[in-house]
Amino acid sequence: MRAFFDMGGYAAFVWPAYAVTLAVVILNIVWARRALVRARAEARRRLDVRAGEKS
Amino acid sequence: MTWTWFHRLGSPPYVYALAERLTPWFAWPAALLIVGGLWGGLVLAPPDYQQGDGFRIIYVHAPSAWMSLMVYTTMAVAAAVGLIWRMKVAHAVAASCAPIGASFTFAALVTGALWGQPMWGTYWEWDPRLTSELVLLFLYLGYMGLRAGIEDTQRADRASAVLAVVGVVNVPIIHYSVTWWNSLHQAPSVMRLDKPTIPASMLVPLLMMLLGFTLYFAAILLVRLRAEILSRERAASWIRAEVFAT
Repeated sequence: MRAFFDMGGYAAFVWPAYAVTLAVVILNIVWARRALVRARAEARRRLDVRAGEKS
Repeated sequence: MTWTWFHRLGSPPYVYALAERLTPWFAWPAALLIVGGLWGGLVLAPPDYQQGDGFRIIYVHAPSAWMSLMVYTTMAVAAAVGLIWRMKVAHAVAASCAPIGASFTFAALVTGALWGQPMWGTYWEWDPRLTSELVLLFLYLGYMGLRAGIEDTQRADRASAVLAVVGVVNVPIIHYSVTWWNSLHQAPSVMRLDKPTIPASMLVPLLMMLLGFTLYFAAILLVRLRAEILSRERAASWIRAEVFAT
């Protein structure tokens, strides 16, 4: 187990590389979801305003 | 051959519903492939005879670099379709690609630097491959900046599409940079015309990561595309049913 984390002496390069990539993978999921939630909320607000103008 | 499928892809409500339905079919296989690829790459694959365990950076570096190029190509093709057929949905696809591609280009550059330091003795060198990849990052950022700077969506679509299409010349430059010029960077081991030059125990996890990242891109793109379509279809009545349903 120790040897695994040590990565044959390359731990200082291997793990940060994995961490950066994993962060980008996760952030893209978060950003995409947030974009959709925001677009939905904005569409709802827009439609509410429109309905308000008509009545 | 009938072109109905193409015309249907021009219809925002159709594409929105299709994107929603397809997302999990890309996301779950992507998750399985990436977890399997990580296990294979970090645990099962043997250490390299020259680079020891340092070579394992390939399992995050190559997929990130692949994403940077594949996403750009997708963006340029979508932009061209948008320009030629004046297809709103195609412009929405192109706009959705940019932040994904930019972030993976960043990952490719950082993981490459972390691989370069122990193997080449430097994090950065103004080498053809590294420099052209950095130019790719600037193309993505320029594309996003241009879009952000133009208020009118249609004008933003057209202007940014021209930039995306022109910038695509950089993609083959990046790919062939290592063969055309003397580069520190190694030549391709997998994406080459003859057989790959690495053994199966190292290759299979890499292929799983490459396929996994590709499917992951499709899933992220579909979610972003829905957001993009919603913000473009300002008045359409189908949106009412969509956003008030849940």
